[in-house]
Amino acid sequence: MADRADWPPDLEAELRALGREIDVPPAPDLTVAVRRRLTQPDVRRRFWPDVRGWRFRIRWRVAVPIVLALLAVLAVTPPGQAVIVHVFRFAGIELRQEPGPLPTPTGTPSLPNEQRLPLAQARALVAFPILVPAALGAPDEVVVSDGGRVASLVYRHTPYGEVRVDEFDGHLSPLFFKKFVQAGEVSGVRVAGRPGIWAEGPHEIVYVRPDGVEDVASARLTTGNTLIWDTGRVALRLEGALDKAQAIAVATSVRPGP
Amino acid sequence: MVYPSVRARATPFVRGRDTIDDAEAVARSLDGDLDAYAVLVARYTVRAHRTAYLLGAGDEADDVVQEALVKAFRHLSRFRVGEPFGPWLLRIVANETKNLTRSRRRRADLAVRLSALEPERVAADGPVGEVLAGERRGTLLKAIDVLPDKERQAVVCRYFLELSETETAQVLGWPRGSVKSRTFRALHRLRAHLGTDGTATDGAGTDGTGTDGTGTDGRDPGGEVSGG
Repeated sequence: MADRADWPPDLEAELRALGREIDVPPAPDLTVAVRRRLTQPDVRRRFWPDVRGWRFRIRWRVAVPIVLALLAVLAVTPPGQAVIVHVFRFAGIELRQEPGPLPTPTGTPSLPNEQRLPLAQARALVAFPILVPAALGAPDEVVVSDGGRVASLVYRHTPYGEVRVDEFDGHLSPLFFKKFVQAGEVSGVRVAGRPGIWAEGPHEIVYVRPDGVEDVASARLTTGNTLIWDTGRVALRLEGALDKAQAIAVATSVRPGP
Repeated sequence: MVYPSVRARATPFVRGRDTIDDAEAVARSLDGDLDAYAVLVARYTVRAHRTAYLLGAGDEADDVVQEALVKAFRHLSRFRVGEPFGPWLLRIVANETKNLTRSRRRRADLAVRLSALEPERVAADGPVGEVLAGERRGTLLKAIDVLPDKERQAVVCRYFLELSETETAQVLGWPRGSVKSRTFRALHRLRAHLGTDGTATDGAGTDGTGTDGTGTDGRDPGGEVSGG
């Protein structure tokens, strides 16, 4: 190609050579650490797991017995010791406690491929039964996102202001959302006899795509408080200016019918 | 006491395992054989670490890689037999790196790390040629730093990690066409930044990066790129 003559001599080769010169710090030997992480189920079974200073991840099915232990740890571990102080999973939601100020997401956040539909059509699109809280009645808006992976009910005007309910398949273990919370904001609750998580105050939430990548366009600050629970079939999060008792009352009223 | 003699034999876990290939190690790992997985861990840690580091994890590359290796083991059932293990693992590493840099709300600051290379270090007493080469490397690193994130990722994968287009597509989770186009755009910007005669023309080059056609490649039909 004639133009090539004017180009710097083979930039691509130069870049490769440059890459070989870049000193990366020595890689650690991770065989022991990884093995320890992979044999960690033993740790989970203890009532008082030794998780301080450790990242730990748990599936929601085994999360319940150690919620209290986690909360104790959250309370005693001062922030700022590590980038990620704690990671905790419950009902398809990962709660991350990190040091630093609250972020301020910009723009209009949205979930991937949002479709606004009547409830009946939405039900046909998703694989799990969409539950509706009888205490709030029929939603003003039903949004199905990411090809039926998430269904959201939006109530514009309730005694608690705007309320949002996100629902996703509780039988699937993957991650649906990540929340970035501060110490002291999270506590364990029970909803109709089942365990749940109560998170106070605005915090950032971001949707996690099926391939595990956070969907940046979905990042937003929550409005008010959040209750997370699951019915065994469906995992739900309720968000709005409700207090804990009000949220639990609304959550307890969910029905598979309209 | 039994321990001393056992220790003296050294690495009983790994001995003889080194020779198993990836496919076999994966198969055994799927059966829960942690020794077999340790072989994969040992084999890919350095590469995974370099990938995480250069994609922006920086000092947290250790954590990213550990997390990725744990995830990879737990998701091993999704690994398709016959596929190469390396790119599959690096995809997880790249995802973890993205999550880290995003959750820390900072731009993947490759440049800061790269600048620490001190291109001047060869300059002091070296021959003139080396000094110039050092300057050019410094300029190039700075130019890479100001690339848009995705173009920088493409450059890191294609040239610093020396992955093929197909591997890059897999690791970054992009269509292959995006790898091509982003790499091309990155090279275009870098050329503009460096100046077409191959010397560093810092200011002039930078001004031209947003617009097209500052370099001679502006007149390039582009067929070569989309085709090759």
